[in-house]
Amino acid sequence: MLSRVAERVYWLARYVERVENTARLAKVHTQLMLDLPKSVQMSWFGLVQITGNEDQFSQHYGQVRSEQNCMHFLLADRSNSASLISSLWWARENIRTTRDILPREAWSHINELYLLVKAQQSDFAERKTRNALLSQIIQACQAFSGMLSGTMSNNDTYRFLKLGMLIERADMTTRLIDEGGLFVAQQQFNNEDEAHFSSVLWAHLLRSISAYFMYRLAYQTEISGEDVLTFLTQDRHFARSISFCLDEILRLSPALPNSLALQKAVQQLGWQIAQQQGKIGSSELHLHLDWIQRELCAINGLLYQLWFAPKQVA
Amino acid sequence: MLKSLENYPLNGFYDEALATPDHPRPAAAELFKRLEDTPFDSFQEMQKGAETAIAQLGISFTVYSDKGNIDRLWPFDVFPRTIEAGEWQKISSGLKQRLRALNRFIEDVYNEQAIFKAGIMPLQIIASSKDYRPECQGMQLKHNAWAAICGSDLVRDAAGKIYVLEDNLRVPSGVSYMLENRAVMKQVMPEVFRDLNILPVNQYPLQLLSMLRSLCTSDCADPEVVVLTPGIYNSAYYEHAYLAHEMGVELVEGSDLLVLSDNYVYMRNIDGLKRVDVIYRRIDDAFMDPEVFRADSTLGVPGLMRAWRAGKVAIANAPGCGVADDKVVYAYVPEMIRFYLGEEPLIENVPTYLCDRQEERDYVLEHLAELVVKPANESGGYGLLIGPRATAAELADFRQRILNNPRNYIAQPTLNLSTVPTLCEANLEPRHVDLRPFILQGEKSFVTAGGLTRVALQKGSLVVNSSQGGGSKDTWIVVTEESI
Repeated sequence: MLSRVAERVYWLARYVERVENTARLAKVHTQLMLDLPKSVQMSWFGLVQITGNEDQFSQHYGQVRSEQNCMHFLLADRSNSASLISSLWWARENIRTTRDILPREAWSHINELYLLVKAQQSDFAERKTRNALLSQIIQACQAFSGMLSGTMSNNDTYRFLKLGMLIERADMTTRLIDEGGLFVAQQQFNNEDEAHFSSVLWAHLLRSISAYFMYRLAYQTEISGEDVLTFLTQDRHFARSISFCLDEILRLSPALPNSLALQKAVQQLGWQIAQQQGKIGSSELHLHLDWIQRELCAINGLLYQLWFAPKQVA
Repeated sequence: MLKSLENYPLNGFYDEALATPDHPRPAAAELFKRLEDTPFDSFQEMQKGAETAIAQLGISFTVYSDKGNIDRLWPFDVFPRTIEAGEWQKISSGLKQRLRALNRFIEDVYNEQAIFKAGIMPLQIIASSKDYRPECQGMQLKHNAWAAICGSDLVRDAAGKIYVLEDNLRVPSGVSYMLENRAVMKQVMPEVFRDLNILPVNQYPLQLLSMLRSLCTSDCADPEVVVLTPGIYNSAYYEHAYLAHEMGVELVEGSDLLVLSDNYVYMRNIDGLKRVDVIYRRIDDAFMDPEVFRADSTLGVPGLMRAWRAGKVAIANAPGCGVADDKVVYAYVPEMIRFYLGEEPLIENVPTYLCDRQEERDYVLEHLAELVVKPANESGGYGLLIGPRATAAELADFRQRILNNPRNYIAQPTLNLSTVPTLCEANLEPRHVDLRPFILQGEKSFVTAGGLTRVALQKGSLVVNSSQGGGSKDTWIVVTEESI
């Protein structure tokens, strides 16, 4: 497999995963706004913070952190490189240059989704139409992943796709927990009734990555931040937990050539995550998550060293 | 008869579908029977269906600029162009014959130059050709396959006779659109396909692959074939990816390849370097190897010419084969067929005046307003003069250009290109078409069943190039009872 092609399918999978996660985030956030009491301060800007693009936002919209601005920035703004539509555009460009090694449907699938979102992006402005479009996007991304796993040989192309998906997924999970943790830390709950809303919040967070039902099966008690944190970082069975993503990378990497360095790095990160944990609402948690993000970034760099841009004797 | 074709004007052109206002030609007869009562708005629906399919499949050709890319959807007309299988059989023999002669000619140019010594062509034509590559001298290729892939443009005149208008030997494109057009038509007219006996086109990618494999210079059992593309910013990128995908081979860019000191070509893989045996290149000669041609090219592979000359890699089409893709050389193809093959040409050339010859130049200058004048080395319909439509200033300008550089111009009579019913705003109307079949020559020869029919969508226009407002049609080679 060509190094350049490996790099492009890897990013293709990352971008598709990012599109799906961004859509989920926006959808669940909109629903949460309806559930929380008026006294609880909940801002749209949190969504912008999760994706780490505050500076770019203020350049475009100044201090007007309205629902409309935040949603536009996160979903429809082509000048925001992390927006849903930008991710989708990049997914499409990557697939355009790798369509020769992917099933034919792969291209038409992403191309259709792109054309749909482009034609209907004004739907993002209104809550009612926004939710319908977001659901459609999520479904399309899931169908895309399902189509690939159902039609592709378990070859190097598929392994690089999975690598991209898993790394992006693990990264997104850390960002979600970070958002929840920050939010809880910032809230002053006035009474017990309102404190109950912290579990509403955690439930919402779980839902945003379709983890609610699986969490419920694992923990029958009331939803607590500590349990959610353990579940999302350390659970060995849930498809979106960080540990699970790392386990999966370990499972598939031995089949790739010269993968020993990757196996070692991932294994080590897995051990460290299993041993440590930040506390909900503490600054320690934020640092912990930040550290995981940096480690994932280092793994991304390792892929470049091993496969995408290795130094070769010419 | 087709109800939607009542009042269809024939205007003295040869129409591919209609023999007379009341009678279809044999190849279109079955189609007319199936669509007899189809009202015009059903055709419009089919057209809409086709356009949706094209958008979904992402069949596009791209115009890239500094301001970003404009992805234009592939322009397609739903009314097919039909040709009778018996006639096609003859045309395709003629095309194979032509390409065999052209390939003999190219090898001759870079070796003995027998055709010049025999006095059939003036050597000066080669000396003044901008696509002659001295780096190719002395090269002899397996199967004579210099131009392994050729796209020849065919036209039909008012009398119904087929001529070759030009041979594209450098990097001919369009074949993927021929294949996609068929895929789209099957979606919009499935019943018609079931009922008619139409020759399939989809064996092309496999024929291409087996031809490319036959070019491998060593006798390895499983040669590594790649498609070399200039990348996504090339307007035919879609086609490069399509063909690589259909053949199941790697689509590579120049930076993916390197030539080592053993003169072999390798590609950079995730598990190290892998040897490449055959390159189907879709970049021009000039960009292929910065060591030999344009040093500023970032699209090419340094050392590629060295590897090719050492016989370590096969390249299709071979470097230097553009020497035969010249409108002056074109004029000599019938002579080449006689000279190299000892046969009579099965398809004729359009009568061509070479401005380099005093007598013919005088004729051209005298009749400029009736002729089409073409530069010898351009493609894509650029830089030509259509006499009957030109202004006095344009005529004067071309007169001067011809006098300044007669070698660079040829002239041909204005052809009354044949027409095919085409969906226009309110009616099916006749529009002019040409046809580009694709011919392969490796160990064996192969011609596509039909080819890409290009149609000038503007009323009265003769310009069919997609870059200049042309569209396309599916081409049906129909087996009728007569041809069996």
